[in-house]
Amino acid sequence: MACTVPYLGHGVGLRTQHFPRVWEGTARVDWFEAVSENFMIRGGRPLAVLEKAREIAPLVLHGVSLSLGSTDPLNDAYLHDLQTLIHRFEPAWVSDHLCWGSVGGHYAHDLLPLPYTEEALTHVVERVRAVQDRLGRQILLENVSSYLTFSHSTMPEWTFLAEVAERADCGILLDVNNVYVSATNHGFNPAEYLTALPAERIGQIHLAGHSDQGTHLLDTHAGPVSAPVWDLYRLALHRYGRVSTLIEWDERIPEFDELCAEAERARAIECEICGGFYAESP
Amino acid sequence: MLNLRELQSRFFRAIARVPGGGEREGFDSTLLQLVQGRGRLGPAQRLDLYAHMYCARLLDALHEDFPRVAAILGFERFREIARAYLARNPSAHPSLQYLGRHFPEFLNTAVEDIELLPFLADLARLEWTRLEVFDAPDAEPLQMEHLQAIPLDEWPGLRFRLIPACQVLRSAWPVHELWTAGEEAALSALMRPTATVVRVWRQGFTVYQASLDAIEQVALDGVQTGEPFAAICAALAPLLPQQEEAALAVGSLLTRWIEDGILARLQPN
Repeated sequence: MACTVPYLGHGVGLRTQHFPRVWEGTARVDWFEAVSENFMIRGGRPLAVLEKAREIAPLVLHGVSLSLGSTDPLNDAYLHDLQTLIHRFEPAWVSDHLCWGSVGGHYAHDLLPLPYTEEALTHVVERVRAVQDRLGRQILLENVSSYLTFSHSTMPEWTFLAEVAERADCGILLDVNNVYVSATNHGFNPAEYLTALPAERIGQIHLAGHSDQGTHLLDTHAGPVSAPVWDLYRLALHRYGRVSTLIEWDERIPEFDELCAEAERARAIECEICGGFYAESP
Repeated sequence: MLNLRELQSRFFRAIARVPGGGEREGFDSTLLQLVQGRGRLGPAQRLDLYAHMYCARLLDALHEDFPRVAAILGFERFREIARAYLARNPSAHPSLQYLGRHFPEFLNTAVEDIELLPFLADLARLEWTRLEVFDAPDAEPLQMEHLQAIPLDEWPGLRFRLIPACQVLRSAWPVHELWTAGEEAALSALMRPTATVVRVWRQGFTVYQASLDAIEQVALDGVQTGEPFAAICAALAPLLPQQEEAALAVGSLLTRWIEDGILARLQPN
């Protein structure tokens, strides 16, 4: 089996700052990714804007609070809300993160690292399967940036991610910036990470900016994609072929056109690596 | 060796223990032994990054939800109170939007020297109400032509309903004035207790608020409790002894409510 999501081209994350452009119908892009939790509401402007975005371009839902690695039971109300969003907006696919963010009923609202052990692997696989059964669809799992690793891990992150994808039959959302940030913070070779992942399971790529804190890299999404991350993106395209790619930008968010220029840069690189006619989206 | 459950419980306790409380020398030693400290950061520093991000993200969220309260308290004092709030009310919902739901009550009951600013909890309530109204369910508003189509003999039994995106807030303080005054914190010293009723509603995508006079308070009370139109008029009668005045007042109230879009379209019986 493989990841069966369609190829959508080069998209951007839907952010509040760009709601006016979406509302007036001038936000032209291949596709949008919306953070699921921001739209688990009952009415008002955000949902109306999301309807509009959906009319403009294909949409993908990207969650941050599914907490797949948590040892708490899956949050039934959350899954219900997610299912409601899926029915209403018919996203091309749904994704969340390979991490945990809650325990004892409390949420950290962060993407916390897992130990890469057999115990965690079995647990995550079971949870991903349960979510896929509940939603009736394959989901994509994203690798997170991390600032610590656990000494009792028995395998590297890339092996863990590949194993989860195979055993749970889910797709992979490869965040190339996160690979670079974690590789720098933990001293591994990012190319090794990319090489180890099964190409047929990569359904989406994330690109974003990070910041150098001197002692470590921080995944801030506060600026343009850095040169080494573009290089790693090239490597990813060599290895996997063309993959739907999305620019994330969450702090110091630029004008919509500047954001789209980053997506166009990704498109140009894809054409350079994978061939094909390069034409900016209308 | 900690199992996954124990590891996560200890990790969460470590990062949320004293949100933003500065030095974290007392990290759980069993947990620290499991954190690898290669490179330029040791295990405690690495764990502290997560503690810092936990605190920063949640404090920022509270600050965004209660900007007027934060402006009056000042950045540091607001953060100090917000940290105490988080220690007692860790987020219990996957969405950050519910994080501040107990904050107004917390200001009222748990902050020791808040009596210096006794209106602050009500201002927080107003800010929270505005957030609730912002994404309350959509509803079709009642239009003037709907009213005009109602036969005269049905009017006494009419029961109006507010749209979900309209709430009424009662305070002993003119909190809506403080909200409008923005960051002019000095105005707070001028605040005098004044029984105030404010309605907060959304029209289109914009949230509005307005204080109510005695007549509108009584009428809106009647609508909220499901009284028929005739009973609402009867309740207004003592406030408007002249019958012509009463009819005029009710007519202008209905017009204003319809212009503001706060009445929901009537359901057929």
